[in-house]
Amino acid sequence: MDTMEYIDMFLDESREHLQAVNDHLLVLEKNPSEVSLVNEIFRSAHTLKGMAATMQFEDIASLTHQMENVLDLIRNEKLSVTTEVIDITFEAVESLEKMVEDISRDGTGKKDVSHLVSRLEQIEKGSSPETNNPAQKQPPSSASFDISLDEYQGTVVNQAKEQGYQAIQLNISLKEDCVLKAARVFMVFEVLEEAGEVIKAVPSVEELEQEEFDRNFSVILLTEEKKEVVLEKILKVSEVEEVTTASFTPAKEESENSEKTSNESESENESAEQSQQRSSKTIRVNLERIDGLMNLFEEMVIDRGRLEDLSQKIGNKDLSETVEHLARISQDMQGMMLTMRMVPVEQVFNRFPRMVRGLAKDLNKEIELEIIGAETELDRTVVDEIGDPLVHLIRNSIDHGIETPEKRKEQGKTEAGTLTLRAYHSGNSVFIEIEDDGAGINREKVMDKAIANGLLTRDRAEQLTKDKIENLIFSSGFSTAETVSDISGRGVGLDVVRSKIESLGGQIAVESEPGRGSKFSIQLPLTLSILSVLLVKVADEIYGVPLSSIEETVLLNKEHIKYIQKNPVMDFRGKVIPVVSLAEILNTPGNEAADSSVKPVVVVKKGEKMAGLVVDSFIGQKEVVLKSLGSYLQDIFAISGATILGDGGVSLIIDPNALIK
Amino acid sequence: MENTIKVIVFQLHNEQYGVNIQQVRSIEKLLNVTPVPGTADFIKGVINLRGDITPIIDLKDRLQIGKTEYTDHTRVLIINIESIQMGLIVDNATDVLDIEQSIIDAPPEVIGGVTEEYLSGVAKIDDRLLILLDLERILNFQELNEVEKAAAKQL
Amino acid sequence: MARVLVTDDAAFMRMQLKNILTGLGHEVVGEAENGKVSVELYEELRPDLVTMDITMPEMNGVEAVKEIKKIDDKAKIIMCSAMGQQGMVVEAIQSGAKDFIVKPFTPERIAEAVGKLF
Repeated sequence: MDTMEYIDMFLDESREHLQAVNDHLLVLEKNPSEVSLVNEIFRSAHTLKGMAATMQFEDIASLTHQMENVLDLIRNEKLSVTTEVIDITFEAVESLEKMVEDISRDGTGKKDVSHLVSRLEQIEKGSSPETNNPAQKQPPSSASFDISLDEYQGTVVNQAKEQGYQAIQLNISLKEDCVLKAARVFMVFEVLEEAGEVIKAVPSVEELEQEEFDRNFSVILLTEEKKEVVLEKILKVSEVEEVTTASFTPAKEESENSEKTSNESESENESAEQSQQRSSKTIRVNLERIDGLMNLFEEMVIDRGRLEDLSQKIGNKDLSETVEHLARISQDMQGMMLTMRMVPVEQVFNRFPRMVRGLAKDLNKEIELEIIGAETELDRTVVDEIGDPLVHLIRNSIDHGIETPEKRKEQGKTEAGTLTLRAYHSGNSVFIEIEDDGAGINREKVMDKAIANGLLTRDRAEQLTKDKIENLIFSSGFSTAETVSDISGRGVGLDVVRSKIESLGGQIAVESEPGRGSKFSIQLPLTLSILSVLLVKVADEIYGVPLSSIEETVLLNKEHIKYIQKNPVMDFRGKVIPVVSLAEILNTPGNEAADSSVKPVVVVKKGEKMAGLVVDSFIGQKEVVLKSLGSYLQDIFAISGATILGDGGVSLIIDPNALIK
Repeated sequence: MENTIKVIVFQLHNEQYGVNIQQVRSIEKLLNVTPVPGTADFIKGVINLRGDITPIIDLKDRLQIGKTEYTDHTRVLIINIESIQMGLIVDNATDVLDIEQSIIDAPPEVIGGVTEEYLSGVAKIDDRLLILLDLERILNFQELNEVEKAAAKQL
Repeated sequence: MARVLVTDDAAFMRMQLKNILTGLGHEVVGEAENGKVSVELYEELRPDLVTMDITMPEMNGVEAVKEIKKIDDKAKIIMCSAMGQQGMVVEAIQSGAKDFIVKPFTPERIAEAVGKLF
């Protein structure tokens, strides 16, 4: 269905709201009386519910709905914030995250949330019997806002009144299931502005446009028309549930509360300014657009090369100076474009406080999490990929590093362990460190295990330095189910973490002091030469074909392969183009896929020329880090480099230009 | 002790060979090698060595004394020469030995099927013979690049 | 009862809308799979109401609203939007669309939207 088009936006926004809920919950746990936090959480849950319902993710909708009910009681002070409430909300958020992630992996987003829903229901019912009556829940809280005007607005109202206009306060409630609230508000304002002039809105017009309101808003309208007429017109707008009116007489209120008024309007101004600042400083740009820009830029760089050649040949001084200047500018441009892809590592770090809290609770440990340098920026691709390895390392530190409070006390340490997550720039690298003050790595055990698994001989082991022994835990073949680096029964070894980091062009090392703790350091390149490729399978190998040279992928019926002077060709959009078997030309070892009558073909282009590359199957599109094969293997035919895939394997990147004659 | 050198001892067929430990970065198990098309036969491909793309060659094939059958004992010697890192496939890496310079003799014309040009000497320890290889010669890059290009042209 | 022209590039959505509208007692007099066809059919059929999807090939819904309004400035058009198309919806309303509904559609919501126009 066409809701799929909006799935990315749904995912982005859902993640943002879940993160917001998460952050607010953590603060709320420490300040249970902060109702404003509950409001924030309520708003996020509400938005999520609306979005999920539209996208027909019913489990998310039902869970958020029930969360909303409980939160509503809290913000109306019918229920207080207890550990139970916090815990279950955390659990709910976790389930929501799982569902959202499932959706992002093309899953259904379904999950059995009935136990959570029923526990939330219990909390809801247990707390306040009167809410058992559903009829009482239904009517909208047609909350009207107290509106106060500043001096100027007050004068406008008074003058207007003298001229026979009347000032009406309208309190408008949208229906609960109204989705595009800002558009609806726009329609209401169209009606209002036809009838008169809106001189004030609460929340402010900006906030309304940003959907920073629940479902109620109030305006003051100067109009010649009668209240009832205006009312009727507004009710003509769909999804408006209720409108109430009140005549507005500012003068009196103003004199009574002049001080309060000015205070309030000041703080209002401030918040308006803040939101304005926020909106002017950053814009959200689709990564695809930046990549598109990069691709265009690459093309320009090629032309720049041609220009450089030409200017050398022609030998005109003005021309060569201009070309040199162009070269410098494009260098700077490249730098800027790379920084456009940079995002703060905060996006990943954000999810850790709750995770640490949960793990500590499960394992009966006390852990203080310290996050330093969350603002450090990294390439977006790295930020997207680095989460899992970090989760792994943090779990590792909590599970195996930090001791129980009793044990720590025995050893004269503080009962609460400290886990420090640190990010910083240095040179052309970004470092991320995970440091704990726990038990450290048991070198003897590591060494024994490594010898037992045949990673090294006893003789060789004795020659190894401390560092080298510790770093053995990253070796593939080191971890098995019962080793020290097995992570909480997940059966995944640290070698997986290592290959993930290497696939991002980074490195990982560990330092440890027995009894004092360990520090895992990850070094990542600041920027990457990132390439979007289509991964294809050919016999036993996986190759990457740069997206920039792909015209299309097609499934070619074998019968449609024709021969011109024994050379296979195919018809592609009315053009006859050569067909090349990648397996043959690259002499790929292994068994070809079963001989089927339909062959996947990647149509590549070089200028106007095209060729069809026959492969065994398409795997999918991926952004990879391009690496050179090194000076030992130079000028390899049809290969422009290699990349390390997530599983640690090496894939070669095809240079299609070499295959088009 | 300046008259001794440390060598890593490994096996090719039934002979024992040694290379200077200073040229060896690590010893690895043979894992997923990605073949690179259009290269000489003895170049088996590339591996991911802690994030570095590292070419792997079959040392026996390079020395023209046969090809390696892979077994559980097959190891890759990662060597660093002139800032180039690469892996040599050997049958088994067994030992690290200190060898006195004085027991190293000049290489005979052919030993174990390997011609003199690739050898730097022979050491007799107890009753076994250790053949010391001249890695720089073996990995003569210029020559290799020509080999590759020739191979690529055949394609 | 209104004579309705349904515009959506997805046949499934057209079918769903048709079912709901027919169920409400209206008559679907035409179906268009894009904005361009919708404009042509509007001229030919002069329906009482047009439902207009936003994202469509050839001509999108907002463009189509502008074109239809040129032909008949009294045309009644309801936009069919999805989440996240707030900007497009606002532009359509500014261009003269009367209301909008958000997918997934419910018969109640459609009944409300159509009811408020007649």
